[in-house]
Amino acid sequence: MLGSIQRIESPMRRFSEGEEVDYVIVGVGAGGGVLLQRLARAGFRVIGFDAGPFWDTERDWVSDEKGAHNLYWNDMRITAGEHPLAFGANNSGKGVGGGTVHWASFTPRLHPSDFSIHSTDGVGVDWPIPYSDLKPYYELMELELPVSGPSYYPWGDPHGYPYGPHPMGGVGDALIRGCTNLGIGVSAGGPVAILSGSRANRPHCIYRGFCIQGCKVGAKASTLITHVPDAIENGAEIRPNCMVSRIHVGATRRVTGVSYFDSDGRACFQKAKAVIVAGYSIETPRLLLNSACPGFENGLANSSDCVGRYLMAQAGNVVLGRFEELVRMYKAPPAHALTEEFYETDAKRGFARGFAIQTVGPLPMSFAKQMMVAKGAWGWGLRSVMMDYNHWAAFGFLGEILPNADNRVQLAEEKDRLGIPIAKITFNLYDNDKKLIEFGKNKTMEVMWAAGAQEVVQEARYAHLVGAARMGDNPETSVVDQFGRTHDIANLFLCDGSIMPTQGSANPGLTIMALAARAADYLIREGAAVFKSEERNTQKPPIRRDLSPPDTWGHGMPRI
Amino acid sequence: MNSQTERVDTRPVNTRTGKPIGPISQPGYYPGFSTLAQQKFWDAKTREVVLDRVINVPEIRFFSQQEARLLEAICDRILPQDDRDESHKIPIVPQIDRRLYENSHDGYRYEDMPPDREAFQLGLRAVEEIAQHEYRLGFLEIGPREQEEILHSLHHGKPSAGHEIWKQLPIHRFWMLLVSDCADAYYSHPWAWDEIGFGGPAYPRAYMRLERGEAEPWESEEKRYQWKAPDSSVSGVFEPVAGQAEHLGSPGQGGAH
Ligand SMILES: Cc1cc2nc3c(=O)[nH]c(=O)nc-3n(C[C@H](O)[C@H](O)[C@H](O)COP(=O)(O)OP(=O)(O)OC[C@H]3O[C@@H](n4cnc5c(N)ncnc54)[C@H](O)[C@@H]3O)c2cc1C
Ligand code: SF4
Repeated sequence: MLGSIQRIESPMRRFSEGEEVDYVIVGVGAGGGVLLQRLARAGFRVIGFDAGPFWDTERDWVSDEKGAHNLYWNDMRITAGEHPLAFGANNSGKGVGGGTVHWASFTPRLHPSDFSIHSTDGVGVDWPIPYSDLKPYYELMELELPVSGPSYYPWGDPHGYPYGPHPMGGVGDALIRGCTNLGIGVSAGGPVAILSGSRANRPHCIYRGFCIQGCKVGAKASTLITHVPDAIENGAEIRPNCMVSRIHVGATRRVTGVSYFDSDGRACFQKAKAVIVAGYSIETPRLLLNSACPGFENGLANSSDCVGRYLMAQAGNVVLGRFEELVRMYKAPPAHALTEEFYETDAKRGFARGFAIQTVGPLPMSFAKQMMVAKGAWGWGLRSVMMDYNHWAAFGFLGEILPNADNRVQLAEEKDRLGIPIAKITFNLYDNDKKLIEFGKNKTMEVMWAAGAQEVVQEARYAHLVGAARMGDNPETSVVDQFGRTHDIANLFLCDGSIMPTQGSANPGLTIMALAARAADYLIREGAAVFKSEERNTQKPPIRRDLSPPDTWGHGMPRI
Repeated sequence: MNSQTERVDTRPVNTRTGKPIGPISQPGYYPGFSTLAQQKFWDAKTREVVLDRVINVPEIRFFSQQEARLLEAICDRILPQDDRDESHKIPIVPQIDRRLYENSHDGYRYEDMPPDREAFQLGLRAVEEIAQHEYRLGFLEIGPREQEEILHSLHHGKPSAGHEIWKQLPIHRFWMLLVSDCADAYYSHPWAWDEIGFGGPAYPRAYMRLERGEAEPWESEEKRYQWKAPDSSVSGVFEPVAGQAEHLGSPGQGGAH
């Protein structure tokens, strides 16, 4: 059972032990889910491994903050550096659908400027592709999920959304009020991958506000409900609760398959003609590093020493304002309004790049901890500020942090219960980041004041990890090419957020999916050559609009 | 409860009436509001999980009896419930004990922190050492005000004793761990939702009044009064956690974008 009415009717194909498949995909999340669906539709024999369960949303998920703990990647990671990142609920999912199960589902695109910040601002790196290469895939994903939002979205490359904007909740009202009073534009009611009208076997949103705990309704898009059912229908196998521990390389310096631990903890091997890793910005580099072997002593695809490096998080300070009147911010999806007015570089501010301001809607447990950090609340202070929960609204500042080689994922000495070394993540802010955060945090607080808050406080936070195996044209400074193919091994690919060279200040999910759809078109055009040849065709593939899941077309007409 | 609690009134005060609040079954500004009363509108799995939390309070399996008693005294000050009557106090220590017993955690550990189990055991020892150092008595034998002073010194990152332990256990990280575990236990309980006017689970029924903070027909309007922390308490004022520079890292996480 997926969502309140969706069911997967067809039985799932099972490849027998020892059978060689075309593709193994490690991780069925944002990137892996979309790619799996397309490869299956194109007729490839493909298995998607996921370390977590195949969710039955009705039986496994709850409308409860604490009860949602099992959605997250809770295996131990070590966090270090001057600005250590939080993991678990803050960063990644475990289970089919990956992070899209618990994302808030804000789905803005990157701006055209994001693809060349080195050329224009002298910071970060340029992408190997321009915005125009990704644009048709953005449009495709906005229809497939689909995305709700205004008919005219003014920032970056202006465009409109296929489904209408959502009604406002109390936090969105506050954001609109604050922005309007300061003359700042706002996008109300999206862009979010939440249905504002029902479609096929998915009902529309009921505004229950538990998006981050998994949408039991099926209104919020996750690859679990948007792409995985179609993948299964088209002959893909999914192996849930299977943790891939190692990628194997054969005599010809090509990968031959993966070792994994099945749901009973049994060590198994799966043979494949090509392997695609889509395990998130921590697990992807961890797996590549842990697959080191003779000939690849520093880990697979790591001749550039870039695997694990240039990890990025977005600054995600939460700004909280207390209002005299009631807000009740637990209603409506946390994601429902934003502004990208400050997205682009403005020389007057004294730093490169920019930020967005978005609605968030912390539930009581999260809010209590935010009050503990932002106000130093404990004891009776905590009790009393919590009694005012319904008077508070929260905005999320979302700021671009630039890539740095020393922000990285490494293997720690410590091992997990399967004997795989755990990841150690080091994260520091640098000069431009600090200036940007200071400015953006103050601007977000100013908007909160302008909305009429009588008290405004904030908590530092980081969200949305991407990078750590970046793409580029130069094999000496990047891990994969523009299609996700590793420079070092012709039949090893990456397809998740880890390949992003920079991140802009848009939430990354839509971009990850658009990149996955583009990679799929490439793999499908290349066909069997991927399995045999060392040739690298760098011609752009034709766009395949016929590979979308059913019900994509004929519903919702975006103004493009 | 220790013998000295009688000496000071540890209850908050309604300044409009000038009277201490409680012990009552439901503090807060939403008297009579009950999320549990709505349980027939919740989905089966959510009902099962939430009711289990209310009905089946886990036994103490990780901590020794002595540790559990000490932690209970600490939690009584970090999340004081003196305004709640005995049958409506929300269990904190059993939830922490269960988490540690099951070795469940949030999926990360700061490089400079020991694992959570060890952190709790070390932290408890340090708190006891401070009590001995300051008062030549155990933490359980001193009054609530003195207990608060000790916790207050952790909040400020300036405890007077336990220095050997604090070398292995960064004070501010331990303090945040402790407060956030208490907050998790308290604010995941439906009685706390009633207290703060949080509507709770809403699937499959939905919320329909989204704007202006309006209540659903089954929710309650706020009935505010002037609330004041007990005179005897130092935790009613807001002071930044010491060491809370940008490098602190933030434990409050969900509910964001
Ligand atoms: C609270 C929260 C809110 C968010 N809100 C938004 C938002 O509003 N908008 C947005 O765009 N993004 C949001 N994100 C971020 C978004 O969820 C991620 O950026 C996105 O899901 C990353 O996609 P991915 O493909 O890189 O990895 P994931 O989606 O995380 O998928 C990785 C999958 O790989 C599996 N896996 C990993 N390693 C292995 C292995 N060795 N073997 C087998 N399986 C493995 C994992 O179990 C997982 O299912 C949010 C994240 C959080 C935590
Ligand atoms: S608010 Fe809407 S999208 Fe979010 S969980 Fe509820 S029904 Fe799903």
